[in-house]
Amino acid sequence: MITLPTSRILRFGDAAIIIEVAAHAGYSATQTVNALNRELSVRLVGRAGWERPVPGATTLLIPIDPIEPGVEAAIVEVTRWLDGWTRPGEDDPVHESGPIVEIPVRYGGQEGPDLAEVARGIGLTPAEVIELHTGTIYTVAFSGFIPGFAYLGPLPPRLVLPRRDTPRPRVPAGSVAIAGPQTAVYPVDSPGGWWLIGRTHVPIWDPLRTPPAVIRAGLRVKFTSR
Amino acid sequence: MSQPMDSREVFEVLAPGLLTTIQDAGRIGHRDEGVPLSGACDPVSMAVANRLAGNPPGAPVLECTLLGPEILALTDVTIALAGADLGATAQPSGRRLGPGQAHHLAAGERLSMPGSGESRGCRAYLAVAGGFAVPLVLGSRSTSLVGGFGGLDGRALRTGDRLAAGPTGPAAPGGDAPASGTRLLLPHPDAPVRVLPAPALSGVGASAAALAALCDATWGVSPVSDRRGLRLVGPPIAPAAPSDGGSNGVIPGTIQLTPDGTPLVLLADAGTTGGYPVIAVVISADLDIVGQARPGGTLRFQPIDLPSARRALAELRQTLAF
Repeated sequence: MITLPTSRILRFGDAAIIIEVAAHAGYSATQTVNALNRELSVRLVGRAGWERPVPGATTLLIPIDPIEPGVEAAIVEVTRWLDGWTRPGEDDPVHESGPIVEIPVRYGGQEGPDLAEVARGIGLTPAEVIELHTGTIYTVAFSGFIPGFAYLGPLPPRLVLPRRDTPRPRVPAGSVAIAGPQTAVYPVDSPGGWWLIGRTHVPIWDPLRTPPAVIRAGLRVKFTSR
Repeated sequence: MSQPMDSREVFEVLAPGLLTTIQDAGRIGHRDEGVPLSGACDPVSMAVANRLAGNPPGAPVLECTLLGPEILALTDVTIALAGADLGATAQPSGRRLGPGQAHHLAAGERLSMPGSGESRGCRAYLAVAGGFAVPLVLGSRSTSLVGGFGGLDGRALRTGDRLAAGPTGPAAPGGDAPASGTRLLLPHPDAPVRVLPAPALSGVGASAAALAALCDATWGVSPVSDRRGLRLVGPPIAPAAPSDGGSNGVIPGTIQLTPDGTPLVLLADAGTTGGYPVIAVVISADLDIVGQARPGGTLRFQPIDLPSARRALAELRQTLAF
């Protein structure tokens, strides 16, 4: 169980507050950020001057109106809400919660142009890379970079490798990629420096849909090979 | 694209300018999905233009960058300009259309905004009575250039685009002038950008020395700056100890320190999370200064305390009646 020290609830300029839950990024920090996000999201529904919390690797940031409530009052309020709040422990049934979204992926070939190089780089066959990538249930850590881009982790340690030396100017939407301890699906065409191992044809991002992102905070993801 | 039924076409774009986009008060409430706030880089000038045009302060406007568009009035229409003076005139008469004022254009008149020798500010805001009519996407009519949605098909204006305005409200167009003393034009050219120190968190904040170094120097604004942020040019700041690579939430006005010691000031289109250490955060009342910072211009930063930041914003809102 983890209780948050109130000194870790700080202002971020005059238009946000930030709650730090861990000193280092990783699966444990993600679990705590997600649990805290669930707790606070419920409290913040419909409250004027408070925006939905923004999860990060080790923090939860809450944009607020600088006058009403203002950052000082917001810190007092959140401190009161979290007085005695404890993160679900490792053996708590809530710990491994969150609905699982299944994403079908075509691995390798033109849609996963880096699969062979990734396999060579870590001394596995492409089939073994696919087996490892599909054999894990990933947790959504946070979103960023571009709209709908969700960082998923943790990747099996065997698949961890640095980003490509040279980013691609254009990565097609739906590309399934890995880099460092994380994996992700590119929501739209964009530049990108991650290793492309496959592609999904599920439209994972549509701003005209509610919610727009198929992969978002609070969910878990399982990739399947098609 | 279909337009709302109660809107009317008011302009045809004859030349788009350097970067002209439709913006409003921003896309609030989707940052957790990685959706940048967007909205006007200078929210004060947007509000002034809207007030002068008889609109609510956050109605959709055209944000015109350095070199504005040339647009043809398809009908008699009331507009207002605020922010940078991009030398707007009405053609063929050559009538000057100054910022900080409402103007009437007759059907067939052209508005051109060729830029001017004026070296202050880089963004002009053009409001039309009724506001520009584009669909609401994720709660906002702002263009998300990064996401390719919102505004006019998620992109900057192009030649041949037709722009529609919504119905005008109860306020008489052009009749609702802001109270005297309201900032109609740009922030004072010597005004420093007031900042609050970064939160003292191990994975987020840079050092106090970095804040002192930021506030000691006069910074140039790099030409490699856009709606996502300003890159500052000056004496490199010693980078903080490298973080462990985790990204965390950031907001427009966040000043980050890159590994090579360059400060970045995040603007409206910045990503919602970032991994660089944070030096300081620009106070909300001064976002207009960084939003108007012109490539090649200079900026200075000054630490301020929270009560003063709050007072500055309260005064600003009062004069603009946000």
